[in-house]
Amino acid sequence: MTLLQNVLSGIFSAAFLGAMLRVTTPILLPSLGALISDRAGVINIGLEGIMLSAAFTGATVGAYAATAVDPSIAAWVGFGAAIVVAVLVALLLAFFHLQLNGDLILGGIAINILGSAATIAIGYQLTGGRGGGSLGLAGVQMPIVDLPFLKAIPAIGDGLYTILGSQNIMTWISFLSVAVIWFLLYRMPIGKHLRAVGENPDAAASVGIDVRRVRYLALAISGVLAGLGGIHLSMGYLNGFTRDMTAGRGFIALVAPALGGGTPFGTMIAALLFGAFAGLETRLPSLLPGVDIPSQLPQIIPYAATIIALVIYSYQRTRALTARARRFEQQRKQEPAPTPSGPSD
Amino acid sequence: MTATDLTTLNTPPSTRRSRALLWMLLGIVLALIFSVVLTVHVAAGGITDAASISKAIAAPAFTNMLGMNVLVGLAAVLFVNQTGWGTLRVILTVGAALLIGFILMLLISHDPLKAYNALLTGPLSRTNRWGSWVEDAMALTLVGLSITLVFRAQLFSLGAEGQIALGAMAAALVALYVPPLPLGIHIPLAVLAGCAAGFLWGMIPGILRAYLNANELVSTLMLNPIAALIYSFILDRIKPKSAGFTVSEPLTAALLPRIIDGTRVTTGIFFVIAAVIITWLIIQRTPLGYEIRTIGANIKFARYGGIDTKRTIVLAMSVSGVMAGLTGVYLALGIHQKLILGLSGGLAFEGIVVALLARNKPLAVPAMALLYSYLRVGGPIMQTDASVSLEIIRVIQSIIILLFTADGLIVFIQARRTKPKPPISEQDAAHIAEGAAAQP
Repeated sequence: MTLLQNVLSGIFSAAFLGAMLRVTTPILLPSLGALISDRAGVINIGLEGIMLSAAFTGATVGAYAATAVDPSIAAWVGFGAAIVVAVLVALLLAFFHLQLNGDLILGGIAINILGSAATIAIGYQLTGGRGGGSLGLAGVQMPIVDLPFLKAIPAIGDGLYTILGSQNIMTWISFLSVAVIWFLLYRMPIGKHLRAVGENPDAAASVGIDVRRVRYLALAISGVLAGLGGIHLSMGYLNGFTRDMTAGRGFIALVAPALGGGTPFGTMIAALLFGAFAGLETRLPSLLPGVDIPSQLPQIIPYAATIIALVIYSYQRTRALTARARRFEQQRKQEPAPTPSGPSD
Repeated sequence: MTATDLTTLNTPPSTRRSRALLWMLLGIVLALIFSVVLTVHVAAGGITDAASISKAIAAPAFTNMLGMNVLVGLAAVLFVNQTGWGTLRVILTVGAALLIGFILMLLISHDPLKAYNALLTGPLSRTNRWGSWVEDAMALTLVGLSITLVFRAQLFSLGAEGQIALGAMAAALVALYVPPLPLGIHIPLAVLAGCAAGFLWGMIPGILRAYLNANELVSTLMLNPIAALIYSFILDRIKPKSAGFTVSEPLTAALLPRIIDGTRVTTGIFFVIAAVIITWLIIQRTPLGYEIRTIGANIKFARYGGIDTKRTIVLAMSVSGVMAGLTGVYLALGIHQKLILGLSGGLAFEGIVVALLARNKPLAVPAMALLYSYLRVGGPIMQTDASVSLEIIRVIQSIIILLFTADGLIVFIQARRTKPKPPISEQDAAHIAEGAAAQP
C-alpha cells in the first residue's frame, strides 16, 4: 500500500508535473507535425530524420556562432539555421512524393535514414570524433523563461513555480503551437483547404484548390514543427547533440494524432500522456525504493503505451465503423428501396 | 524479359524460348569465368601473373571459396534473368547514388578518391574482408526475403529488427541450455526455436493489422525496442557474472560449421539457399502466395473473390517473421557465436533496400544482398583507410531508396527538357512491361 502511495504522490508532485512538461515538449511538437501532415493526407513518416537534422544543425551552428557572438544570440542563430534545414528536408520529401510520384512511406523511411546518417557523418568530419556520438562542442541552450512572480501567488505559488516557472522557451513554444495549429486548421482559409485536401483530394481539386501546393505547405509546416522538437532536444532538454538522440520520438509522434482524434488539443492530451509515461520511466526506480526493478522494465513503458494506445484507438474506430454500417443497414430495412419498376418475368 | 518482349512478341514461342536458354547459358558461362577470376584475385591477394593462379590454388579452402564465388556469379545471373532490362535501372540508380555520394565526399573529405577507392575495392583486398562480404550478404538475403514477403502483400512491416533479436535469443538459448545432442539434431532444433520466435513476434502486428486495422508501420516500429529490451533483459540474466560487458557465454553447441579458414562463412549458406527457394515457392506456387499477391494487387478484389484477407495478412506477417527469425539464428550460430547487445546492427532497414532493388522477387534478392553488403563492408574500410565516416554508406542507401522509388523522375526530367508530355509515360511502360513479364 505504501508503495502505491509512493507512486501516486510521486506522480502528482509538482516536480513530476514540471518534468512531464519538459519530456512532453519533444513529443508534442512532432506530434503536431504528424497531425498537420496527416490532415492534408500526406502523413510525414520522416519526422524522426527531420528532428535529428534540426537537432544537429541547431547545436552545431549555435556552438560555432558562440565563438563569435554572445551565447544568448548564438542560440537563436542555431535556432534559425535548424528551422531552415528542417524545412529543406521536409521539402525534399515533399518534392520526392508530390513531384516525382515517389512512395510517401518509403520516402519517409529514406529521410529518417538520411537524417540519422548525415548528422553522424558530418559530425564525424567536423570534430573527428571517433568514439561515442557526442560532438564535444560547447553546448548552447535556448533561454529559460523565468517567472518569479508565480511564487507570489498564495498557497499554490511554490508548486506552480516548480511546474511552470523555469521551463525552457521551447516548452512554451510547443504549447503555443497547439493553439496556432488549431487557429490555422479551423480559422484560416488555408486550414479549410488543407482539411479538404486530406478528406478528398479529387473533390478539393474540382473546386479549384491546388492540391499539390497545399500538401507542399502541410509538409513544410510539419517540418517546422519537427524541427522545433529537434531544437528542444539538443538545445533545451539536453545540452548538445548525440547520435540518434530522438530515440523513436518521431515514430511515437505518428500515433499521437490518431489517439487524439485528429484535433490539435486531442493531440496535445495524447502527447502529455506519452510525456507522463516517459517521465515515469526515469522516476520509477526512485518511486519504488527497495523493489528490484529490471532496468529494462521502465524503458519499455513508452513503447508499450504506444502500442496499447494504438490498439485502443483502432478498436474504437473499428467499432464505430461497424456501428455506422449497422445503422445504415437498419435504415435500409426500414425504408425499403423502391422496387424496380421494370417488367418482371 | 521486359521491354524487348514488346518487340519480340511476334516471334514464335519456341524460338524465343531457345533464345532465352542461349542467353542463360552464356550468362552462366560468364558467371563461372567471373567466379574463377574473383577467387584467384581474393585468394592470391591480387592477380599479377600466371604464378598468382598456383598461389591461389595453394591457398587453404580454395575449393570452398570457389564454390561460394560460383554462387555469387549465379546470383547475378538469376537477377538478370528475373528482372531483365530492370537490371539496367538498378545499375543506373546505384551508380547515380554513388556519384552523389562522391560529390558529398568532395565536400567533406580531404582525399575523396582514396576514400572511394577503399570503398569500392576494399572488400576484395583480403580473404577475411571477402569473407565479411559473403557472410553479411547471407544475413541480408534472409532479411530481404522477409521484407519481400510483406511488401508483396502491400504491407509495411519494419519489425524485422525485433524478430531478428528474438530469433537469435531463442536459438542461442537452445544452444546453451539443451543438453548436448548430435549436431544434426541440435542445429535444426535451434533453427526451429528461432523461426518460432520470429513467427510469433511477426504475428502480433499481423493480428493487430488484420483484426483491428491498426497501422502495422507504427506497431512494428514500437515492437522493435520492446524486443530489444526483452533481449537485453534475458541477456542480463544469463550472462556470466564475471563478464564486464553484456555478453553471453560463447556458444559451443549447435554452431554452424565454418567452411573457409580465416572467415566466418559457414554451412549457413545451405539455409540461405533453401530460404530463397522456399520463399519463391511460397509466393509463386502456393495458395498462400496467390492470396498474398492478390491482396497486394487489390485487397478489395481479394475480399470480393472470397479470400480470407485477415488470415492472409496474419500469415504474411508471421512467415515474414520466420525469415527474420532465421536471420537471427544465422547471426547467433554462424556469425557471432555468442549473444551480444545490438546483434543485428540495423539490418532490418537495409533489408528494405534489398527488397526494393530486387523488386520483391525472391530469386533476385541474393544478388541485391551481395551488392548492398559490398557497400556495407566497404564502409568501415573507408573509415579506417581514409577517415571518412562509414555513415556515408547509409546516406547513399537513402539516396538509392529515393532515386529508385521515384517513378516520376524520368518523366520529370523529360518534362523539364521538352515541355509537351511524352505519349507514353515511364510508369505506363513499366506497367505494360510488368504485365508482359507476369505472363508465364
